[in-house]
Amino acid sequence: MKTKSLWLIASLILIASMILTACGPKTTPPSAGETQAPPAGEKVKVTIFIGMGTGTDPEQITAENALAAKFNSTHDNIEMEFLIVPYEQSREKFQAMVSGGTAPQLVGPMGVETSGQFQDLWEDLGPYIQRDNYDTSDFYGPAIELNKTADGKNIGLPVGLYPSFIFYNKNAFDAAGIAYPTHDFNDKTWTLAKLREVAMQVTMDANGKNATSSDFDPANIVTYGFDDSWGNFRDWAVIWGAPNVGRPTTADFKTATVNAPEWVTGIQWYSDAIWVDHFMADGTALSAIDPANGDPFAVGGVAIWKSHTWYMGDSLNDLPFKWDIAPAPYNQKGEQIFNGDADVFAIPASAKNKDAAWEALKWLVNEENILEMCKIYGCMPARKSVAETYNTTLTEMYPGIDTSVVFSAANFIDVSNHEGWVPDVGRVNEILANALSKLMTEGENHDAQSLLDETNAEVQAILDEYWASH
Amino acid sequence: MKNPRLRLSLRQKEALSGYLFISPWIVGFLIFTIGPMIASLYYSFTDYDIISPPRWNNFANYKKIFSGILPAILNQDSSRLGDPIFWQSLKVTLTYAVMALPLGLIFGFFLAVLLNQKVPGVNIWRTIYFLPSVIAGVAVALLWGRIFNPRVGILNPIIEAIFHVKGPGWLGDPHWAVPALVLMGLWGVGGGMIIYLAGLQGVPTDLYDAAKVDGANMFQRFWHVTLPMMTPVIFYNLVLGMIGTFQYFTEVYVLTSGGSGGLGGPVRSTLFYNLYLYENAFRYNQMGYAATMAWILFVIVLVLTLLVFRSSEYWVFYEGQLKGKD
Amino acid sequence: MADTSRIQRVKQLLFGARSGELMSKSISTLILAAGAVVILIPFAFMIATALKDASQVRGDPLSFIPRTPVTTEVNGEALPLYEVTLDGTPRQLALLKNAPGRKGIFVDPAQPAQTYTLELKPAEGPKPKPLYKLEIHWENFREALTTQPFNVYFMNTMIVAFVGGFGMLLSCTLVAYGFSRFRARWLNVLFLLLLSTVMLPSQVRLIPIYVLFQKMGWINTLLPLIVPAFFANAYDVFLLRQFFMTIPLELDDAAKIDGANPMQTLMYIMLPQARPAIIAVAIFHFLYAWNDFYEPLIFLHTQEHWTMAVGLQTFNALYAINTHLIMAASIVMIVPPILLFFFAQKIFTQGVVFRGIKG
Repeated sequence: MKTKSLWLIASLILIASMILTACGPKTTPPSAGETQAPPAGEKVKVTIFIGMGTGTDPEQITAENALAAKFNSTHDNIEMEFLIVPYEQSREKFQAMVSGGTAPQLVGPMGVETSGQFQDLWEDLGPYIQRDNYDTSDFYGPAIELNKTADGKNIGLPVGLYPSFIFYNKNAFDAAGIAYPTHDFNDKTWTLAKLREVAMQVTMDANGKNATSSDFDPANIVTYGFDDSWGNFRDWAVIWGAPNVGRPTTADFKTATVNAPEWVTGIQWYSDAIWVDHFMADGTALSAIDPANGDPFAVGGVAIWKSHTWYMGDSLNDLPFKWDIAPAPYNQKGEQIFNGDADVFAIPASAKNKDAAWEALKWLVNEENILEMCKIYGCMPARKSVAETYNTTLTEMYPGIDTSVVFSAANFIDVSNHEGWVPDVGRVNEILANALSKLMTEGENHDAQSLLDETNAEVQAILDEYWASH
Repeated sequence: MKNPRLRLSLRQKEALSGYLFISPWIVGFLIFTIGPMIASLYYSFTDYDIISPPRWNNFANYKKIFSGILPAILNQDSSRLGDPIFWQSLKVTLTYAVMALPLGLIFGFFLAVLLNQKVPGVNIWRTIYFLPSVIAGVAVALLWGRIFNPRVGILNPIIEAIFHVKGPGWLGDPHWAVPALVLMGLWGVGGGMIIYLAGLQGVPTDLYDAAKVDGANMFQRFWHVTLPMMTPVIFYNLVLGMIGTFQYFTEVYVLTSGGSGGLGGPVRSTLFYNLYLYENAFRYNQMGYAATMAWILFVIVLVLTLLVFRSSEYWVFYEGQLKGKD
Repeated sequence: MADTSRIQRVKQLLFGARSGELMSKSISTLILAAGAVVILIPFAFMIATALKDASQVRGDPLSFIPRTPVTTEVNGEALPLYEVTLDGTPRQLALLKNAPGRKGIFVDPAQPAQTYTLELKPAEGPKPKPLYKLEIHWENFREALTTQPFNVYFMNTMIVAFVGGFGMLLSCTLVAYGFSRFRARWLNVLFLLLLSTVMLPSQVRLIPIYVLFQKMGWINTLLPLIVPAFFANAYDVFLLRQFFMTIPLELDDAAKIDGANPMQTLMYIMLPQARPAIIAVAIFHFLYAWNDFYEPLIFLHTQEHWTMAVGLQTFNALYAINTHLIMAASIVMIVPPILLFFFAQKIFTQGVVFRGIKG
């Protein structure tokens, strides 16, 4: 019957297509290495998940693969492989892998904020360190401290530090006729008040008038005095020396302290800087001098640029102006707080072959390889013993730059870190980012006290919600 | 011996054939689609941070979203809203949809009509207009970031030259960020033009000839022949365009990934619904809440689609439409 | 009376059959040309960026011309060269440093001991112009394609595009035919169900789908990208269904009378009539497979399985300035789809003349 032949044809087609697909991609056999436990004596695979931070650029991939080859040639029973995931998709892929039961053996390099988002996921490395008597004294203090959770769990071994300092545009200072900022970390006259003064003198409008002059035209600014636009709210607030340093809550995480007096002072300083003194760019101006690279300094739009070591890259050597780095200023209390980050590699608790992962991790951050890792990721090595060697590398890469600033700044990294975990950290950080965004885009000067009171209430609501169910 | 065979009526045979033909989709649906959909519906009733198993929380997620609506509508009092950010994201998405959908439909259609004429070099014109929709998303985002630059981008100097008005801050300005995205989307309108072209090509020329013989001029031919014959295609673009604009995500994610204000743009002015959903799912460890948002959007879009389908009886003309259901 | 005939003649001129067509064609060409310029400006910018090197992209991102400042060596330092007018004569001097009051301290490279202080933006007279030289980096194209194994990516993309495309065409034509030419009890509901599958944001289905493919062992293979295509998808089925429904039923009936079964009707009546739609759907699938980075990124782990779009995506790494490479790679990736589209137009433009029905 006609329907029968129809049946036949349809099922034949279905079967044919299934056969076709099964035969099709012969070049890609399913890889089951991660789900099956290898028989004893065979190679154990350590997959290193790269993408939570930097490390996914093609040049970095080549360098990482070379590092893996080096490891594999000296280790018979462990095979190291880098798994590269572009940053924008890294979080969902990581979470998918974890829920599928195939967590990677190592994840990194991760900043404090990222490792904090998955805080409960990481294996506590304290027991491993004790078991092997692993010597952590060679690591800088902040590098270890920043990667301990509130209950003392050590979630990873540090790779590098990213201290912050200022980059300054020498041409802009020449054009204003002012002396360059000091390079002396002990010069106590270099305060935030002095920064404001200097920044105003260096801010230049289209007619060559600086921000201190009476004919200054704020609608036509060509060079801004100061900028910290790669920093978020907590970056901006941490340097003002509040008791909780970079954390917007009390130590028990129950009360929000966004409107701490030091933070109010600080936010008011920034708001005045943008809307009254005009030496910092507002949101619109920022998107004008920052044409989708997100880089106001390299195009010459900013005279003093606060950033971290990750800003330094190969292409900085050919900028159309001369530049150098210098210490960031003392704050209004006479303290030096230079917000910094520390990157770690961590081991997910649900991963298989954690011992092999631990071996691989130790190898990656040993004295020889930590230098290579930091070259790839643009950080300052977390080991004190290799500082000399790294300094040589830096001076080769950036001739004429005062690289000692990088090392000195590492001493002042904020330990109650500006990226540290708080309950529902993603939501809280988003609320703070929104507050900063209001500051920068609403077209007029703000009363920092009322803005922060409002923000504080929002954060407190989140904290209350969290503690209601925990 | 007579084999007792199942005697199917003609109608039943037709139905069986119909089901047979759509069986590939049904099989695929059962294997790949229905499981994840039901799983996500389940998630919407849980707290789920992906790391640990989902924890049933009744309707807590739904309550959070819908609480405080009445005071907000009746007394303009938005302080009692359970999640004001949710409503902001819905507002942003609706604003975008209301702008992008009609503009996209109209521009796409008229572009196709223009490109359907036998002007010299029409193949080259079509290729040029098609070009933007082929370029990879990440390159498009980087390009348009520069074009929208308020001071030295390409757009504002042109605006100043022609209209003598200072151009807006585009992506950096909360009021102009969404229009900027609409503009960026219109650049790629040539992609959908193909469908219109295919539709226009399918209008049999003997209809035009008959119309000409009846004395119809260009506009009358357009109105009485082209437009009605194109309604099936317009309907397609309307439905899918609507579904698409409500789920707008990729372009705005790449563009605002690093800007001021974080993922939602300045003062959350480009915090699209799907973007907020994504944040909840993968940044805030709240996949349950994200699933709730997903299903609320599902209901909204489903209702709108049903309305459009209902209305199609009045304005969509199929030459080969089956009358009667079963 | 003379007036009415004049009006009629003008009308004839403007809207009459032949000249009306000519006018409409000219206007169309004009509008198309204007629009094309607008469309192409970003593209020209794309090409310009692709030809710059990293420091040009960083320091001079907005110019349409890949250029770098001309520098000259003075006392071991590279200084930018300017064209200035000194005492009425144009000379080329190097800028040593800026000075307050929008002035600059210039030196003559040949005699570095002597410095000249000139105004950078004088109120009148010619101002010093920085000298640029054209520096086009053609090697960006080669570099973009070789820092990663784009040839492997290309093979993977082709497999996904063509095997998946075949599966898609096969399944979608069958399913669309089923939805458009048959009457059955729940068919309308099923069609709505089909559409509803794309109404749910895919982010919330990611984890379950990943786990599903994980259990099937398909992760890190191309199978998750190809196999689902053999089971039809809402977009293409919807489009084909719309087109099938524009084909008059009389053709079907004629075929039935001739003894054709549904399959034959599909193959010999429907598909030829819906050819533009089939081409459109094929092009769309190719484009989708070509540019989609999200699904390959989630389901594929190792580089040897990546598709081109994933390779392109990795250029956009955090803190990396690779804009020139992204543009270069994107330009190369545009070429195959554009060629495909250009040549597919032949089949496209063979419109349907007669429906094959009399009266």
